[in-house]
Order: sequence, then structure tokens, then C-alpha cells
Amino acid sequence: MRRRTLAGALALGGLLLPLLGGCIFEPRTPEPPATGTPVTYLPQTSSANVWANLERSLNAGHAPGWEDNISQDVFVYEPDSQAESLFPGAFTGWDRAREVNFINNFYNSGVTIQAQMKDDGFTPPPDSGTQTTWEGVIYDLIITNNADNSVTRYRASAIITFTLEGNFWYISRWRDQQGESNPDSPGQILSSMGVLRGTFASK
Amino acid sequence: MTTALRGPAPAAVLVMLLLAALPAAAQDEAAADSLGAAVDSTLASQDMGIQPPGGYRGQDVPVVTDGPFLVSLRNMPKGGVKATVQQYQYYGQWDLAAVMRDGISADNHAGWSWTDYRKQDKTIERREDQFSWNAGQSLPVTATILGNWDWSEDRTVNSASVSNLAARNYKRGSLNLSKSRLRTGDFVHSLRGIGQIEDQKSINLGQRNDFTEGTGSLGAQTGWEIAPGLVLAGRLYGTATSGTRSLGESDSPSSANGDTIGLGVYYEHGWAGGRVHVSQGNFEKRYLDYRRNFNGLIDTVGVGEGDKVLQEIEMKDAVSLEFENTMRLGRLKLDTSLARDMDDLEYAASGVGRKERQNDAAAAALSFAAGRDSFTVNFGYVYKWDDQRYKNATTNRGKQYTKGRDLAFGWYRELFQATDLTVKLHQGLTQDIAQDQFNDNDKDRLDSDANVKIDRAWSGFRTSLGFNYKQVKDIAIREARSSNNNVKDSYEIAPGYTWDLADWLMLTQSYRLYIQYTDYLYSDLPSVTRRDDYSKRGNLNTRMTIDATERVEITLKHDYNKRFNATKTGTDASGSSSYFKDQIQSTNKIELGLKYKAAPGVILEAATFRTKDIKDTYGTTTRRTTTFSGEIWVGAQVRKKWGRTSPLELSAAVRKYNAYGPSVTPTSADYWDADVWLKWSF
Repeated sequence: MRRRTLAGALALGGLLLPLLGGCIFEPRTPEPPATGTPVTYLPQTSSANVWANLERSLNAGHAPGWEDNISQDVFVYEPDSQAESLFPGAFTGWDRAREVNFINNFYNSGVTIQAQMKDDGFTPPPDSGTQTTWEGVIYDLIITNNADNSVTRYRASAIITFTLEGNFWYISRWRDQQGESNPDSPGQILSSMGVLRGTFASK
Repeated sequence: MTTALRGPAPAAVLVMLLLAALPAAAQDEAAADSLGAAVDSTLASQDMGIQPPGGYRGQDVPVVTDGPFLVSLRNMPKGGVKATVQQYQYYGQWDLAAVMRDGISADNHAGWSWTDYRKQDKTIERREDQFSWNAGQSLPVTATILGNWDWSEDRTVNSASVSNLAARNYKRGSLNLSKSRLRTGDFVHSLRGIGQIEDQKSINLGQRNDFTEGTGSLGAQTGWEIAPGLVLAGRLYGTATSGTRSLGESDSPSSANGDTIGLGVYYEHGWAGGRVHVSQGNFEKRYLDYRRNFNGLIDTVGVGEGDKVLQEIEMKDAVSLEFENTMRLGRLKLDTSLARDMDDLEYAASGVGRKERQNDAAAAALSFAAGRDSFTVNFGYVYKWDDQRYKNATTNRGKQYTKGRDLAFGWYRELFQATDLTVKLHQGLTQDIAQDQFNDNDKDRLDSDANVKIDRAWSGFRTSLGFNYKQVKDIAIREARSSNNNVKDSYEIAPGYTWDLADWLMLTQSYRLYIQYTDYLYSDLPSVTRRDDYSKRGNLNTRMTIDATERVEITLKHDYNKRFNATKTGTDASGSSSYFKDQIQSTNKIELGLKYKAAPGVILEAATFRTKDIKDTYGTTTRRTTTFSGEIWVGAQVRKKWGRTSPLELSAAVRKYNAYGPSVTPTSADYWDADVWLKWSF
């Protein structure tokens, strides 16, 4: 009988704990939008919209826009050879949590980003079923550090897999293939976002 | 003890040996586990970047102390090919394992591979050799010699036809000596020393990155059993590296030195056990590096050749504090932990300048079982920050804080015979805060989950019913970012069953209904373009498995999905909302799989699927798109072994794929997936 009483008490306590936790689980009150340009994201009803949302997130330095478009279940990042050799072991088990950590560290580092996530010649294939893969999409990021005004550029080709989870599309796999040439200096090969991920993941 | 020596982490070996020498009262298994794990996580050798020696095959066999010097010699050549949609790879390797008298052993692994990428112009050739020698019991100390050679050439041509060669030729040799169970009075000591030489020649993007360096390191650990069940352990570790480095067109001497000191108290007394541990480490490295900006990104554009490479000095101080306790009272168990890590990292040349970081974590896990009920309550708290003073800056950037807290509750109960109830509740809040608003990225994310699941297992019929509710609040704090603030509520109901209709026939069906509402908190403001939305998805999955004969297995699957997305258009006087359906999509996928055991070790396989996808998009005009996609593959698996003392093994899994669909590229439309190898042991 005592056991049952104790069990019941624990059950009740356990149920109440999250409710009582309201005080320590209360988000802060936000400031109503007044300044700045609202970041307008597209509904995640197609893979093209999802990829476009990443560009909008980068250009605005708005982390929720990146987090919302990365798979909520399983996200995998595979670096290209150059990034892997610069950061050996850094990409093992790269999942959603590490991707979210990376993008927050990146945006919080005081940078202004000018991104074009799809080269002009790339035509996205139409979605079909619950998974779509884009091969050879070339993205281009120009990053200005606001503190020292230094400019670095990242341009690479990638294979991106989109998956339909619940009702919306998300990026479930990002595989960087190789660094692409600098359009302003074609002989110069630029690095992929793997180098950015390696640099900011550990911060 | 011998088993422990096979482990990859020498720290654990060291501690286990140390414990073995302590009085019997201190050899409590739980205490040993606790102590081993504690020291393993903080041993200085890992901090200093010295690689531990690998395992030694020779120690798997009993030690022979007389007879011929060479006890056994085993060769294992292996060759094979792998193919996937991404790449082809051909490889060969030769493993050699020799066991000698007194436990002396030597192993060598030589390998070669060639990889050709199908979806890009890229090839990689690799050659490698790994050698290890273990003195066994032939010397009064544990001695190992390790050798390592890695050679690779990675050739790529990008979409602008610009080629690159990334080549690397790396060699390493090391001598590892250790001695444990040294006793002086009540103290037991372990000592370890490593000497290592590394040489690398590499080139990438036309820039060389070469180095030749030698490293020496020494470690000592002492344990003292103060009282039964109470052990005090201290350790010291030091390492020094010296050599030369070449980067780009620059050459320079390089060096590194560092030390770590650690102290821990480990206890195990009846109903409680745990540890308190503190360690401090620091290092200084001098090396050539590219010019880097404030974020640590290589920044050499527009810089003269002579200024692209700099002489860097990197210094780091780190302190770690840990407390762990496990308490058991009857069927109640409470695990608690507290931890703090702090470090300062400073660069003399890089624009990064000086970085400070602190991570605090606390966790408590309570579990209790009573009768048919069991409960778990977990709480976790994380508080961390980092700050930076850029090179030549007079003030710090400002602290970037991250705070997180999680509370989870679990209840498991056997409702009645063969029927189980599982309830899970969770709430977690993470917060990003920039000190003095040095950026506008402050945000909170609150996750709340409730999950109820009932499982029932009759003989030959199993059912489950799950209900899940999840709410995610994404709140940006600053006015420049808050326009997208939203709350997502999602509901999911998922009943299902598995029915063994006959010994040869099994039917599984599951249904999943998923509904999500997104409420944009400021959607009523004219400047905010986001509108609340609503979406629903139904999924019916049916699977039938037919074991037609002892050799033939057939699997049939059907997956039906229907979903729609709608945007809120208004709310009437009664508070009811109306939505406009933007898109309706239905997807039908039918699959067929066949497996035939043609002979012992030989299986023939085939599978195919076809998907029909209909999507209606509504707007000023209604648009319907219908797409079809599908795939078929046929293949075989072969597992064969010939001979006993010198076996020859064949393993082959080969599949030929053909696929079609709107997103299927030519390289994915027709390819082989294979893993075939042949191995001989003699």
C-alpha cells in the first residue's frame, strides 16, 4: 500500500514538475518589430523554397530561418576533401545540433553576408515523392567582418538532399563536393562552407 | 588486466593498473569504473595531442615463455571493390600479425586504394602502412613502437575546369614506455614516456605545408587510498615539441610545450559513490600560419606574398572542475553532476586576438521503480559564454551567453497483462544573449512535448497507439529580428498493428495523422508579411511479408500520403478562423521486394518501387502537376569460405540500379552498388 502511495505521489510530482517549471521555462518578452527590414521567408512547400530561405537567412544573418529549414529529425553534413583535411575529425557525427550551433556562432560573430545560394545556370528539379536531390548546385558567399572590414569569399558545388517531413520540406543531407573558382579571379579556387563550419563549430 | 591493455586509451590502462595495485578494499568494481572513467576523460596526453598507441593483436593470445622464439605468423591479404552511386573504389591490403615468445608481438597493415567519383571530376589514390611492436613481458617496462605512413593524392577539376592537386606524404614513428604498480609505502605510482618523430610533405592549392618535428612527453600518476573506499589520485603530464615548418614560401622553426596537473578524489561507500576532479593545463605553440581575420578565417586577398604567412604564437590556459555522484536508496537512484570548464586562448599574430570561454553544466537524473510503475525525472542546466578581444583592440567584444535548461519526466506502467503505458513530458528552453547588445541575435526557443503511447501484445497480434503534442516557440528578442516570431503547435495520432496471419504471412499497418498550426505573433502588423498557417497530413502504410517457401521471401508495401497546406484568411466574430488551401498533394508509392536463397551462402534479390505524385496548387489560377518516379534493382549476395587453417573467404553484395523521375540525374539513373572482397588467411 505504501508503495502504491509513493508511486502515486511520484507520478503526481512528475506530472506537476513541468507545469511548475513555468517560471524557469518562460521565454523573455520580445520587442515588437519596429526597425529593420523583416526577413520574408517562403513557405516550405517545395525544395526550391527551402533553398531560397537559406539565402534569405544568410543575407539577414537570421539564425531561426536557417534552423527552420534544416531537418528536424536527421541532418547530415559531409565536407569536401579540403575542409576535411583542414579540420580532421571535426565533421564526424555532424548533426542538426551541431549545424544549429555553427549557424548561431557564425551569425553572432559580427559579420555581414552577401549570399547567392544557386548559380544562374542551375535549374532545380521538380519535387516528387518525399525526397528530392539537387546535384551540383553552386553557392557563393561573400562575408565581411564588421570589425576589421576584411572580406572573405566561399564558393563551392554541393549535392543537397531535401526530405518531406510532416507537411514541409527540409534539408536532410548537405554534401560539399569541391571548391569552385572565384568569378573575379577564375584561377583562384575558393573554399566551401565546410571551412566556415570547421572554423565556427568550435567557438 | 590483460584485457584492459587492448583498449585504445592508455589512460584507462594506467588507471586500471594503478587500481590493481591498491589494497583489496579499494578494488571495488564500481570504484574502479568510476575512477577509470574519470581519469580517462582528463588525462593530459589527450590534451597535448599525443596519440595513444593502438591495440596489439598479439596480446589476444596466451603468453608463451618457452619454446621457439616465433610462436605464430599470420598473413591476411585482402582485395576488393566498392561501388555506390557516388563513387567506385578499388582496394587492396595486407595484414601481418606475428606473436613471439614472452608476449612479444608485431603487427603490420599495408593498404592501397583508388577512388573515382562518379558525380564530379575527382580521383583519390591512397597508400598507407601502420606498424606496431609490443615488447610484451620481455622487458621490465611496457614498451611499444608504432610506425605510421599515409600517402594520398586527391585530384579534382571543378566546374570551371580548374584543376587542383591535394597531395600529402606523412610519416610518424613513436616509442612508448610505461611502468605501473610501482609502490612506495601507501602510494602506488604509474609512469609513462613517449618519444615521437613526425614528417609531412604536402601541397594543396599550390601551397606547400611541410613539417618535421620531434616530441617528447612524460606523465606520472600517484594514487593513495586514504581510507577504505576513498582514493586520492594526482597526475602530472608534460610535453615538448621542436622542429621546422614550411608554409607557402616561408620556412621557420616550430615548437610547442605544455603541461597538465590533475587531482581527484574518488569514493564509493555503501549507497553513494562518485568523484571530485580538478585539472589545469596550458600550452604554448609557435608555428607558421596564414594571415587570419578577427574571426579566424584565412584572409590573404590583396596581401603581398611576404605578408600572407605569419609567425604565430598560440597560448592556452584551461581549468576543469567536475563533480559526479550516484546515490542508491532501495529502488531509487539519483545521479547528479556539476562541471565547469574555463579556458583562455590567445594568438600573437592572428586577428582573433584573445578569446575567453566558460562552460557550466549541472544535471540530475532520478529514477524509481515501484510495483508495476517506474519513473524517471531528468533536469539539465547549461550556462556558457565566450568573449573576445580582437588583436590591437582596447576593449572586449562583449560576452555571448547561451543558457539552456531541460526538464523531462517519464512514466512507464504495465496497465494489465501484455499492455504497457508510456508517458513522456519534456520542456526545454535555450536562450542566446549578447552582452550590451553587441549583436541583435538575442533569442529564446521553448520546446514543450507530451507523448503518450500504449502497446498491447496478444499472441500473434501486436498493436500500438501513440499520441504526441509538440509546441515550439521561436522568439527573437530584438525589434529588428522579431517580425518572424512564431509558435508552432503540432498534434500527431499514430495507431498501428502487426498481425501474424500465418507462419508464412505477416501484415503490418500503421496510420499517422499529423496537424500543425503556425501562429506568427506579429502577423497583424502591416509591416509583417507572414500569415498564420495550418497544415494536415495523413499517411497510411501497409506492409505484407510472405515467406512463400523456406527459400523465398516476398515483401509488398504500399504508402499513401495526402497533405494540404493552408493560410489563414480571417477570423469571424465568434473567433473561428478561416483558411485558404494553397496546396494539396497526394502521393502513392508501391513497393515489391523479393529474396531467394539460391544455395547455402547465396541469395538473389530484387526490388522495385513506383511513385505517383499529384500536386494541386491554388492561387489566381489552379495548377496541377503529376509526376512519376521509380526504381528497380536486381542483385545477389554471396558469402563463401573455403578451408579451415588457411581459409579463403569471398564476400560479394552486388546490385544493379535503374531509376527514373524528375530529380534523377543520369549518374543516378543507372549505376552499380557493390561491395566485393576476397580475403586469404595463412
